[in-house]
Amino acid sequence: MRKQLLLLSGFVLCSIIALAQRTITGKITDDKGSPVANASVVIKGTNTGTSSKVDGSYSLTVPANAKALVFSSVNMNTVERPLGTSDVVDASLTINAVEIQEVVVTGYGTQRKKEVSGNIATVKGAKLANNPVQSFEQALAGRATGVQITVPNGVLNTPPVFRIRGTNSISLSSYPLIVVDGVPSPTGDFSSTSAAGNALASINPNDIESIDIAKDAAATAIYGSRAANGVVFITTKKGKPGKAKVSFNTTASWTSPYGIPEVLNAQQYTDYKNAAAANNQNVNSTNPAGSGYTKFALANDANGNPIDTKWADYVYRTGFSQDYNMNVSGGNDNTTYYFSAGFSDQQGILKKNDFIRKNILFNVDSRVNNFLTVGGKISYSNELNQAASSSGSLSGEAFGTAGFGRTVMVNAPNVSPYNNDGTYNISPNNVVGPMNNSLAQVGFYNPVVLLDNNRQNAETNHMQSFVYAQIKPVKWFAFKSIYAIDYLFVDNETFLTPLHGDGFASTGSASSTLGKYKRWTWTNTGQFDYTFASRHTVNALIGTEQDRRTSVGFGLNRQTLSDPAFTVLQAGWVTPNTSGLVYGENYLLSEFGRFNYDFDKKYYLTGNIRKDEYSAFASKASTFWGAGAGWEIAKENFWDKLGLNDIFNSFRIRGSYGKVGNTAGIGDYVIYSSYGSGLYGGNSTLAFNFAGNPNLQWETSTKIDVGVNFSMFKDKLQIEATRYYNDIKDLILNVPQSPSAGVPNAIPTNVGSMYNKGWEFGITGNPLRGKNFSWTSTLNITTNTNEVTALAPGLTEILSATSGLETVSRTAVGYSLGYLWLVKNGGVDPATGSRILLNKAGAPVLYRFAPNAALGQFQWSNPDGTQYKENGVAATVTQAKDGVMYGNTSPKVFGGWDNTFRYKNFDLNVLLTYQFGFYVYYGSNAGLHDQRFWNNAKDVLTAWKKPGDVTTVPRPVYLDNVSNGSGLPMSYNAFKGDFVKVKNVTLSYNLPTKFTSKGKISSARIFVSGQNLAIITDYPGPDPEVSSNGNGNTNQGIDRNTIANGRTILVGLNLSF
Amino acid sequence: MKKQIKYIVSFCLGLVMVTSCKRELLSPIPQTSITDATAFDTPARIANQVNSLYAAFKTGNFYGGRAQVAGDIRAEDFLNETTNLVTGADVWQLNATGTSQNFVKNLWAAAYSTINLCNLFIDGMAAKGTSVVGATLSNNYLGEASLVRAASYLKLLEHYARPFADGNGSKPGVPLRLTGIKASGSSDLARSTVAEVYTQIIKDLDFAEANLPLTYSTPALNTTRAHKNTAIALKTRVYMAMQDYTKVITEGNKLAPQATAPFSATTGVAHALQANIATVFASPYTTTESILSMPMTSTAGDNPGTQNQLGYYFVQNGSSLGSAEFSLNPSGILGNASWTATDARKTALVFTNATNSKKFVAKYKTGSPYTDYAPVIRYSEVLLNLAEALARTNAGVNAKALALLNAVRQRSDAATILAPADQAALINAILLERRIELLGEGLRNFDLMRLLQTIPAKGTITAKAPTEQGYIWPISADELSLNKLMTDN
Repeated sequence: MRKQLLLLSGFVLCSIIALAQRTITGKITDDKGSPVANASVVIKGTNTGTSSKVDGSYSLTVPANAKALVFSSVNMNTVERPLGTSDVVDASLTINAVEIQEVVVTGYGTQRKKEVSGNIATVKGAKLANNPVQSFEQALAGRATGVQITVPNGVLNTPPVFRIRGTNSISLSSYPLIVVDGVPSPTGDFSSTSAAGNALASINPNDIESIDIAKDAAATAIYGSRAANGVVFITTKKGKPGKAKVSFNTTASWTSPYGIPEVLNAQQYTDYKNAAAANNQNVNSTNPAGSGYTKFALANDANGNPIDTKWADYVYRTGFSQDYNMNVSGGNDNTTYYFSAGFSDQQGILKKNDFIRKNILFNVDSRVNNFLTVGGKISYSNELNQAASSSGSLSGEAFGTAGFGRTVMVNAPNVSPYNNDGTYNISPNNVVGPMNNSLAQVGFYNPVVLLDNNRQNAETNHMQSFVYAQIKPVKWFAFKSIYAIDYLFVDNETFLTPLHGDGFASTGSASSTLGKYKRWTWTNTGQFDYTFASRHTVNALIGTEQDRRTSVGFGLNRQTLSDPAFTVLQAGWVTPNTSGLVYGENYLLSEFGRFNYDFDKKYYLTGNIRKDEYSAFASKASTFWGAGAGWEIAKENFWDKLGLNDIFNSFRIRGSYGKVGNTAGIGDYVIYSSYGSGLYGGNSTLAFNFAGNPNLQWETSTKIDVGVNFSMFKDKLQIEATRYYNDIKDLILNVPQSPSAGVPNAIPTNVGSMYNKGWEFGITGNPLRGKNFSWTSTLNITTNTNEVTALAPGLTEILSATSGLETVSRTAVGYSLGYLWLVKNGGVDPATGSRILLNKAGAPVLYRFAPNAALGQFQWSNPDGTQYKENGVAATVTQAKDGVMYGNTSPKVFGGWDNTFRYKNFDLNVLLTYQFGFYVYYGSNAGLHDQRFWNNAKDVLTAWKKPGDVTTVPRPVYLDNVSNGSGLPMSYNAFKGDFVKVKNVTLSYNLPTKFTSKGKISSARIFVSGQNLAIITDYPGPDPEVSSNGNGNTNQGIDRNTIANGRTILVGLNLSF
Repeated sequence: MKKQIKYIVSFCLGLVMVTSCKRELLSPIPQTSITDATAFDTPARIANQVNSLYAAFKTGNFYGGRAQVAGDIRAEDFLNETTNLVTGADVWQLNATGTSQNFVKNLWAAAYSTINLCNLFIDGMAAKGTSVVGATLSNNYLGEASLVRAASYLKLLEHYARPFADGNGSKPGVPLRLTGIKASGSSDLARSTVAEVYTQIIKDLDFAEANLPLTYSTPALNTTRAHKNTAIALKTRVYMAMQDYTKVITEGNKLAPQATAPFSATTGVAHALQANIATVFASPYTTTESILSMPMTSTAGDNPGTQNQLGYYFVQNGSSLGSAEFSLNPSGILGNASWTATDARKTALVFTNATNSKKFVAKYKTGSPYTDYAPVIRYSEVLLNLAEALARTNAGVNAKALALLNAVRQRSDAATILAPADQAALINAILLERRIELLGEGLRNFDLMRLLQTIPAKGTITAKAPTEQGYIWPISADELSLNKLMTDN
């Protein structure tokens, strides 16, 4: 490249050598006096120029007739200096008031931020770089109004719960559409193993220049049927004209678990469980209470010391992660390039949960001549997502007996993972061996065996590339054609040892499946930009797009290992079976257009329209649209006359309205009723297996957005306030038929409706702006109210289970999605120690496990001890009958507060995130109080013991799994989730130039940061920022056996050359 | 120059607008399934559909495993080794609720899903299929569909409705669905009475008997597909449930016409007891003693699936025998003195875990992926049905009843000749013999229910009288929520 530059400058020199000339030198500095490297110096009215060196100096030969030099640099104001007699011309460039030049991506183009009528939030890539995350969205929490991010667990590379202005679907995806450099990207977890594999992790956060989040109809309608959940535009970095710039970034970090529930130690467990056993007259009929009954007993280790196992210590760790990123960018006036390579090796807080990414990115743009520009991108990423076994944290895993998060809470502390001879302590019935306890089972699996022997990996190879050509025959028109591919291949590989655990029943099991998700997108657009009569600016866009996706998956599952030494699929096994069969295809054909008009930069109008035809529907086409208007009042004369200009240098009112759609997650063949194949004793079968709906259509969202943006005191304070309303109709519900109808599936039907509405406030200010010290602060607040307004006729509720077992989430008309549905508690009866439940009428009902009929005890009784009856008949309290709508799980208020303090060369960034006004169902708490063999939380030591005891923990009765809420979900385990988190604190130091210049380094920055440093919350679990059901729409706010987020300390270094 | 620009602009615009799109991609045709409209187009598709009815019947949640398991573990002969709700701890404890997914909800759904496939098949044959395969084959197929439907309703009645004996079938039965459902709008249907459902079951089985083939070409097909004798055999069970012993005798005599041992069917498939009972439960599982069994192979989807397998519940949930979910209750039938130590059913079909001395039913010993066939009805049950019917309808010790009883007993325990003193003792001996002979085949709960007997206590679980809540299962909560006409038990 350098050679080319030399040649080029040589050519330039040669071409002007004939003229009289002189050489001008000088130094370019910024307003602080620091040198500005790579600044451009051009002779006014020509293309002749040069760029400044690292020390800001330049040298340029100019013809005698040159009148002035123009100095410019990225993000700085352009300065023009007349050429006088002096041969030395210095220039001082000031940093732009950030948004003057700021452009936002609007879909198939960009627009100046000030001119956008739609609602688009922007987050700079720098905010996301150097974070201990796997994918950029994980670092997005609290950074933008309207955006809610919940990192659901501490398993590496889990897709966060990503919501823009609430949850906007029930059965389809509520994940926003992600558009990377103009091309839609797959989202979600593509791994089918217990190692999560977020597709967006293929984008190295260090390569992101900016993220623009489009929220309202005016901003999103250009994406028509995919816009209902909002559109997130990712722009990767590009090169800038000038000398090649090399950056090197590295971080090292340590992540450790926090908030792991404290459980009983061996002695406490043994005593407590024996007391519970003594309280159960059924198991204790032969050994009455108090006679030295020992169902549970301590055991000694090989050294004769009592065994006291802290299971968590065998499963959790402090994970060490390292990240390296190098990029080279640069170019000349015609061609720019950006090349980056990254390597990230991250360890989770769970042993053997690792994430390794290797990625490269190459962006190039070249202006071939005055009307043709070509360019493209090559991006390749390889991610290895590794886990030994289930963490119990991913969606669907909560109740797996393999889940590490669960076993460490459940397994008895008085048994060891190892026998005294060093072998694994496992029992023939595939649980951890009971040692001296006189029970067959005192735990689930022995996690150490699974950690040592099992594998659950998913390796992703992801290519995201495109090529484009743009023809601009005249100034006011450009034609652009982009062809892009997105190929995501995921190779899932598992091995389950026959020794123990999930592989035990099948005498070992190994699977390998390959999923191939291929997409091509071809977009053609024509863009008109025209200004007439100097004050009327029109730009218009028309385009067509084809989006084709195919998915093919296949694989093998082999069971019954032929030799214990084998651990791979290719070895000797008895049973071969297919696994991971996937076949799908879809096609989206679109025509779209946009029209922007402004008059005098004062009145703005925008309109978007898109017609989408989608293969999954029978009636293919639908048209979506959005329109917006803006008024910059500060440009009006009266504003000036009123003297408001001194206060408000900008004051914009804007509004938008439109209709967009949602198809994300819809099956490729949902319109067809079909018969599928199977086997009956080796013979093929054909059975009705899917009831389709030929009338199925898009979900539609009607979005209204009204707001003001204003800047005060010369942009020192910028405030935006927005009222939004999204009315969603034709929600696709998989309408369940009564089981006796025998229909194989719930039939997808456009029936439901709901709305999301709320306010967004964003306040950015520079309370302090001095030469040495400055403070920039951004506070964003979003409120959201969600309400389901209609379900299917005859369908009064949608019950959503956690991992198919525990149902506490109920979606019903008049409530927000996934409301907690629980039986209310009335504490613990001081007289009997029984759990008090409240029936539908609010009357207290006492529950006693294993009642002694001979003593006149009842399982369900009134507070006076008489049998509980309804309508004169002995009755029980059930969730179906007595459950109440207890609390909402979607936060009513959320956002973040981002502060940057700068003192000389020091930067301190503090990001707080918060969510308020919601409940979390702490299901793990039920497990932590289960009176089967399960170990319990420390607070059981305060359990009821004798009449008169006032406590929150009922009298323990061995085998009781109702009083704790396992068998009957109750409000005892629901808690307010309100929290404020110290999400990120980064302290960085920019090395002074006098040091760096010695090493020919243009800048060097060292930093230390911490993530999740503190949570302020009343929530008793590890972390209220949690989701046991992943991105599920109707079962958020559940914390069931989940591995919580980790706390990270990170150090890093950025170098630029 | 101006002209050129115009050309270029119009060319580009043209490109934008007419970019060659591939409209055919907008109408993809499913590649992995057959559309509804063409499912009855060829004889092969229809034949495959017949297989699918059995495949539905044999899913893990139904007769592939859990139907039999539920029939056994509610009663007194088993002890729960784990406290796992997924594998029926609540069923065993007799406190399963309507929201209990693993048995109450799943078995209900599996039975009705089978019934709907049968209904769809019967409808589809009338609409088109009969003309494709011809009347004879069509009637054979319809007989099979009717039989599978009848067997499904029978299992539903056993768990979700009061026994016939309680009010002679006048109590609420289950919704009687006889037409296929493919779309929304048919959720609501009230319960028919128990008697009405039984009437339909008999009607279906009579139709099946009249239309099914006498035999198939291979022992495998004779064991896994319904033929005439299958319908007759099932009828003996149905009439036992209805306590219509005269009918049991009529049907039973069709399959065991002889007055004395050896007994065997003389028409159709030659059902007979095997010399050694162990062979019935050993590969290839297709002896003439097995009237209907659900075949299993090691191919995924062609076996019961995780935590549904009979072997998993009764003898091993891993590579080692004796690690199952349910052990034999020492104070259940296992401890009954009448079951001698030398009985082949004890020596060959009970396994003792050497470590803890617990005993397990070892009829299903093939480990993962558990390919032992799951029995639905065996010839020995028919003999005992007939024996009991004869015993109950004849005073004193009926000779043929005793001969039938001893035929079953002596096949496995040649040294013992049962000689009950009177009618009551004979009936009791037959009932006891059923517990020994059919242990682990899902019949014990059926026997308690049909006789309206108390479910005896076991382990830590107290007895459940017929009048108590929980004597039968509650109705699936999903059904109650979605079928507005449904009522709970």
